[in-house]
Amino acid sequence: MSIILVLYLQYIKYQTIFIDYVEYRLQLAKRMLFNKKGSLMGAVLAVTVGILVIHVNFVIFQGLFDAIVRDLTDYRFGNLQVTDEDDYIDKSDASLVNWFERIPYVYAATPRLDSSAAINITKFGKKIEETRIPIVGVDPLRDIRASTAHTTVTDGQYVFARNSIVLGSSVARDLGGAQVGDDLKLKIVDRYGQDQIRRFIVTGIANSPGGNGFDYSAVIHIDTLRDMMNRDGFTGSIMVKLNDPSKSTELKNLFLQAFSNDEFKAETLEEVAEQQLAGFRSGIAMINMIGYFGMMSSAFAIVTIQMMLVNGKTREIGVMRAIGAKRKDILIIFLFQGIIIGAIGATVGTAAGLGYTIYAKETKMSFNNSLPLEVTIQWDKVIQTALTSFGLAIVASLYPSYRATKLLPIEAMRTV
Amino acid sequence: MYNLNKYYGKGDTEVHALRDISITVNKGEFLLIVGSSGSGKSTLLNMIGLLDKPSSGKILIDGIETTKLNDSKISSFRNKKLGFIFQFSNLLPDLTVLENVMLPRQILGTNDSAKQDAIELLKLVGLEDQLQKRANKISGGQAQRVAIARGLVNHPTIVLADEPTGNLDSISAQNIVQLMKLMCKKLGQTFIVVTHDRHQFGDVDRVITIKDGRSFEGEESQRLEITA
Repeated sequence: MSIILVLYLQYIKYQTIFIDYVEYRLQLAKRMLFNKKGSLMGAVLAVTVGILVIHVNFVIFQGLFDAIVRDLTDYRFGNLQVTDEDDYIDKSDASLVNWFERIPYVYAATPRLDSSAAINITKFGKKIEETRIPIVGVDPLRDIRASTAHTTVTDGQYVFARNSIVLGSSVARDLGGAQVGDDLKLKIVDRYGQDQIRRFIVTGIANSPGGNGFDYSAVIHIDTLRDMMNRDGFTGSIMVKLNDPSKSTELKNLFLQAFSNDEFKAETLEEVAEQQLAGFRSGIAMINMIGYFGMMSSAFAIVTIQMMLVNGKTREIGVMRAIGAKRKDILIIFLFQGIIIGAIGATVGTAAGLGYTIYAKETKMSFNNSLPLEVTIQWDKVIQTALTSFGLAIVASLYPSYRATKLLPIEAMRTV
Repeated sequence: MYNLNKYYGKGDTEVHALRDISITVNKGEFLLIVGSSGSGKSTLLNMIGLLDKPSSGKILIDGIETTKLNDSKISSFRNKKLGFIFQFSNLLPDLTVLENVMLPRQILGTNDSAKQDAIELLKLVGLEDQLQKRANKISGGQAQRVAIARGLVNHPTIVLADEPTGNLDSISAQNIVQLMKLMCKKLGQTFIVVTHDRHQFGDVDRVITIKDGRSFEGEESQRLEITA
């Protein structure tokens, strides 16, 4: 008990010494800084803008990246995509979907089948033909659970019958402005090399912001496509959507383990879209670098402003040195100014950055009606940016502080 | 101080500012250093105040040879043993009157009675009603009073005043002179005051004249009379 009391008294003693030591230096630093409001505002603004640039960059470029990931997940691949290593999946799609949907963190799964086709439509007596259109076969009932592709249908509705077709907006445009209710012909070469032609009714036009949906494809019922391809019971891929996307690798391993005798290939979104995403990732890294260079520019601004502050306070520094302040006292005073600038700048900059991020998130920000950014607040990044700029402000104040300590009192006091 | 010499410049431009100056200052003494402009009196005061280093010679204060101290110890020494009153008061404009007076004590690191002592001193110099005023909001005479209080707050061995009345009107100057003399008498404080205006100070304990870098005991007029 007595040891605790002694330790407590020692703590109080050293705390008091520390407060005494810091108090007047901090107070002086504050007064000197706050009485030069222009300089203070300039320095704070430099830090704020540095942080804001990072936040804006992050919101736009990371938001764009995440939006692409989101759309690729929602429209095309899911969080996990299962294919056959060599050919089509010949196992029953229902059994695979059921296997996935028994797992608690799987939201839904759906089969997909891909092919290409020639398509023609007669409009106002004129035949318009498009070749090599990507065709996606979907299971209408399952697809609307595992994918949000159906939400991109801006006119009409998603595939619901064997003879209904949804045209991507680009395809519809190329077909002379195909509309809901038009009928058209689709020609597919089946597995035996025979042309298979079917007539379809356009039930919807799909148009996704950013074009990651089926804007350049046509969507039909999966069983129809199977018929046309002569691949009854075959599936191109199983698209699996998870409640918790972070478990995609776990699910992949679980699946491959469960079906180790089959030649399945299971890939997470990052693996499927690796090529698409890799370039973007390095672009983001580069943009972030530019952001951090921006922050470095802020640091140079702080150096300049603090040098001005030191120059403006030369006489006072001389007086303080004359009445007994040591070089380290002067150093501490100007370092405190750096800390104050850094703290205020980091706070204001972070608040402004968060404000912008929240605004972008709430308004589902997009540019020129492109895909809405997928904005998330990553607190680790927010804290990292704030701490980096705070640290940079202190580092930036080192040189001016050092210069202040080098002033000789007798010469400094002569400064008018 | 013994055989104090100070040279500025080198070669053809060398100036011998102080020449073999040896002065002993007694405790509680009000010493006036007089001389014309450029005679070297301020240079001498800067040496005593450890704001400048002599080219040769020794300065002993309280038995400590100050010329051998390093920068950090010089700062501590200035803080503890010396009080400064400058011509332009040199208060910190960002601080209040009270904070300016407390500053040397805060630098010393003994905050306990800093405020109380500063208030007492400001009462002595008649500025108890100006405590919270910013230093740049008071008159020149008041600022010089604050500077006197600041110079005394750490109970220094010597208070050094460089032309303390040089920037004041005659009435304020007289008040400051009287105040310094009062402090010298009341607190037993040693004062070394540099001035070019001898008459403003009236009777003082001792006068030293600096002429062309040399020191003479007494005033030049007396010396001329003796010489004649």
